[in-house]
Amino acid sequence: MSILVADGLTHWFGRELALEGVDLVLDTGEHMAVLGDNGAGKTTLLRILATALHPTAGRLQLAGLDAFRERRRLRHYLGYVAHAPGLYPALTAAENLEFFCDLQDVNRSRAAEVLETVGLTPFASKRADQLSRGMQQRLAIGRAILHEPKLLFFDEPDASLGADAGDLLAGIMQGRTVVLATHDHALANRLCPRTLVLRHGRSLGTATHLRVVK
Amino acid sequence: MNPVRVAVAVLRKDLRSEWRTRELVPALAQFVILALLIGNFGFQIDSRNAASIAPGILWLALVFAGLVAFGRAFAAEREQASLEAMLMTPASPVAVFAGKAMAAFGLLVLCEAVMLPALSLFFGTPLSIGVIAAVLLASVGMAALGCLFAAMVARVRARELLLPLLTLPLWIPFIIAGGSALQSAMGLPGNYQEAVGLLIDFDILFIVLTSLAARFVLDE
Repeated sequence: MSILVADGLTHWFGRELALEGVDLVLDTGEHMAVLGDNGAGKTTLLRILATALHPTAGRLQLAGLDAFRERRRLRHYLGYVAHAPGLYPALTAAENLEFFCDLQDVNRSRAAEVLETVGLTPFASKRADQLSRGMQQRLAIGRAILHEPKLLFFDEPDASLGADAGDLLAGIMQGRTVVLATHDHALANRLCPRTLVLRHGRSLGTATHLRVVK
Repeated sequence: MNPVRVAVAVLRKDLRSEWRTRELVPALAQFVILALLIGNFGFQIDSRNAASIAPGILWLALVFAGLVAFGRAFAAEREQASLEAMLMTPASPVAVFAGKAMAAFGLLVLCEAVMLPALSLFFGTPLSIGVIAAVLLASVGMAALGCLFAAMVARVRARELLLPLLTLPLWIPFIIAGGSALQSAMGLPGNYQEAVGLLIDFDILFIVLTSLAARFVLDE
């Protein structure tokens, strides 16, 4: 069953075309990587799919619902890790997650579970601005899975995660539908059976990663 | 989704962040003391004219302190890219806005806690319940409006310029009614009850209007 159906997603930033007519269908539980050079439109596509950005044209259905009309309702089902961690620097790792537990309407005890999942339990009482970039990224990933979303959108989550990025992401992606934008072809190949390649905002089509590499 | 839980969480988060960083309140408190000091030396203050001059200086200091406090409320969220994360949750934008406005109001009240005794000290004006009530009532509506415009301009590069241009004209009713209430509370002729009633009416009006508008401002 298709959980994500995108039809002709197009986005202009002023006079600049960032994304042009991207079509996409994703089945429940499927993992898809989005590859492309800098400026190819990966972040724009991810932000549209995560309903953080309204496209100039095109339609998007998530879990059978119109993604922009039912945006608030859908946010129970989706998690988004943006390029910047977007944490509160003066709050501790645990406080950052507890704050988002309140916003997601989940029990605050979930914060401790998530800290364990992303390997930050020993740093729970450390302020976010005292964590390394990789730890901040782990915390941002933790924040995205607090409410156990069915759909996950990762915008280059591996950028500063370190050597075990693949293992961490593989564990989190299990049982979820995931779209992962990355520059790392090896990671995409390992985690995602399907790949979408973008160039200058246009889709060059989806394929299995091996075919794309060839 | 409980909007009260969301608003309280946002309020607590903002106040906790300010308590840990102490970025805003000490600077604003210093600013209002300096503004009062300049006012004290700039005017020939005596016991006859203090009650008519002091409210004007108080509102001037408060307006500029408020612009800084409300501007930071959303600018900091934008700079650290946390506003998007917050708005990506199912939490109601109105509840998020209410939490931010309450936190900004709280920070302004902390400044007022420094400013009102200082005003009394420098100008010899009474520090009565009437004075405190008038300042607090005006601050409620000013916080609601200030936060709405701060949210609106946070994504704009020239936000420091735009925020006063948008906010100051709509703060004028609070300054007129608040000034009148303060002068009455300081012993000048005037109807204190009427001025305070007007402040309450403005508070209700602008809280309702900003709550309705917040959804559209924060959603996009």
